[in-house]
Amino acid sequence: MNLSIQNLLSVTLVLLLSCGPVFAQRRGGGSARTSVNQGNVNRNTNVNSNRNVNANVNRNVNVNVHHDVDVHGGYYGGGCCYHPVATAAAVTATAMVTAAVIGSMVNTLPPSCTVVMINGLTYQQCGNTWYQPQFVGTSTTYVVVAAPR
Amino acid sequence: MFKRWFCSILIVGFSLSLAAQSSPAPKKVDRDPDAIAALNKMGTYLRTLATFQVKSVQTTDDVLENGQAIQSNGVIDVIAVLTNRLRAEITSDDKHQFLFYDGKNFTIFGQLVNYYATVPAPPTIGELIDKLDEKYGIEMPLVDLFLWSSPQSDSTKDIIGAIDVGPSSIEGTSCEQYAFRQAGLDWQIWIQLGDYPLPRKLILTTTDDAARPRHSQVLTWNLAPSFNDAAFTFEPPDGAQKIVIAEVGAYGNDQTEPKTGSSK
Repeated sequence: MNLSIQNLLSVTLVLLLSCGPVFAQRRGGGSARTSVNQGNVNRNTNVNSNRNVNANVNRNVNVNVHHDVDVHGGYYGGGCCYHPVATAAAVTATAMVTAAVIGSMVNTLPPSCTVVMINGLTYQQCGNTWYQPQFVGTSTTYVVVAAPR
Repeated sequence: MFKRWFCSILIVGFSLSLAAQSSPAPKKVDRDPDAIAALNKMGTYLRTLATFQVKSVQTTDDVLENGQAIQSNGVIDVIAVLTNRLRAEITSDDKHQFLFYDGKNFTIFGQLVNYYATVPAPPTIGELIDKLDEKYGIEMPLVDLFLWSSPQSDSTKDIIGAIDVGPSSIEGTSCEQYAFRQAGLDWQIWIQLGDYPLPRKLILTTTDDAARPRHSQVLTWNLAPSFNDAAFTFEPPDGAQKIVIAEVGAYGNDQTEPKTGSSK
């Protein structure tokens, strides 16, 4: 009897221990679903739910090359990604003054940009880098584009 | 030694009591038909509304990469004229946006950045909801209010657990509180008692994320709003700049890490 109790205990312990890593492996950055009837994974053709927690937007760094912009869910909350506290998990970008990658996105422009209108659309020219402001979901994001002219 | 023996007894006792609790009722999943019926009644009632204005004071959790949930606040004010006009104002910590839909065009206007984007829109709010979701990855604000008991959504079929929690008051109004479970989502709803079975509060807990992020809405209704037709058509203010809306897949589903070495 005593033996079986010990077995029970050890099995329980093993179970407890083996549960540990499950809880430790958190998926990076999602956000709460905001509707019951929409947002099921079967409708959601892009399941990239990583929030961009790179808040290095106030530095004199041109490029934030993280592409993990949330395009589904959580738009109407907002705000999480601009708080300095969110930089804890962020990657610190090294300065790349001119080598902005086409297609990369930033939340905030570097200083000294010029608004240029081309074919009725707005661009921002910042040195040699051109940004096109876009709504991604309902968030405003600047996408690095090839020089439009 | 005595201590150990005592401890073992405790564990056995605990295990037995656990077994006693769980074994006699390998319960069928709790799916109270009355709770489902209340949801359907609410949905059916919502579908009778030709015009409404609703304000949602809400919170949404975002999850950081380290698994920490961070809450943000927002207010959404929607005025809808079925089937083809809608205006929404979205205010949050870093946003003040307006959505306009007049049956022909859909516009997002970000007042803080003074940007707007307009795209052609389908002829009904229902179709607009689908188009925004599928093409632009935009969830219509308070989309549930348009989908419950709608032909587009069979919202109750996914429900695997339904409980009538009991009476509860929301901002002084008597409601009945219900709790539902479905895959990846636990949610609670407070439905107004009486002749107007409106949803007054909603809490969604995303359960397939270890951080269990939550979203909450407290809803205030006006079933006789005043408006004029111009409210649904966007007129760009001075200095507003036209931009585009990124289509789903253009950037957002690029899961790749930075193309250049950003970290080191």
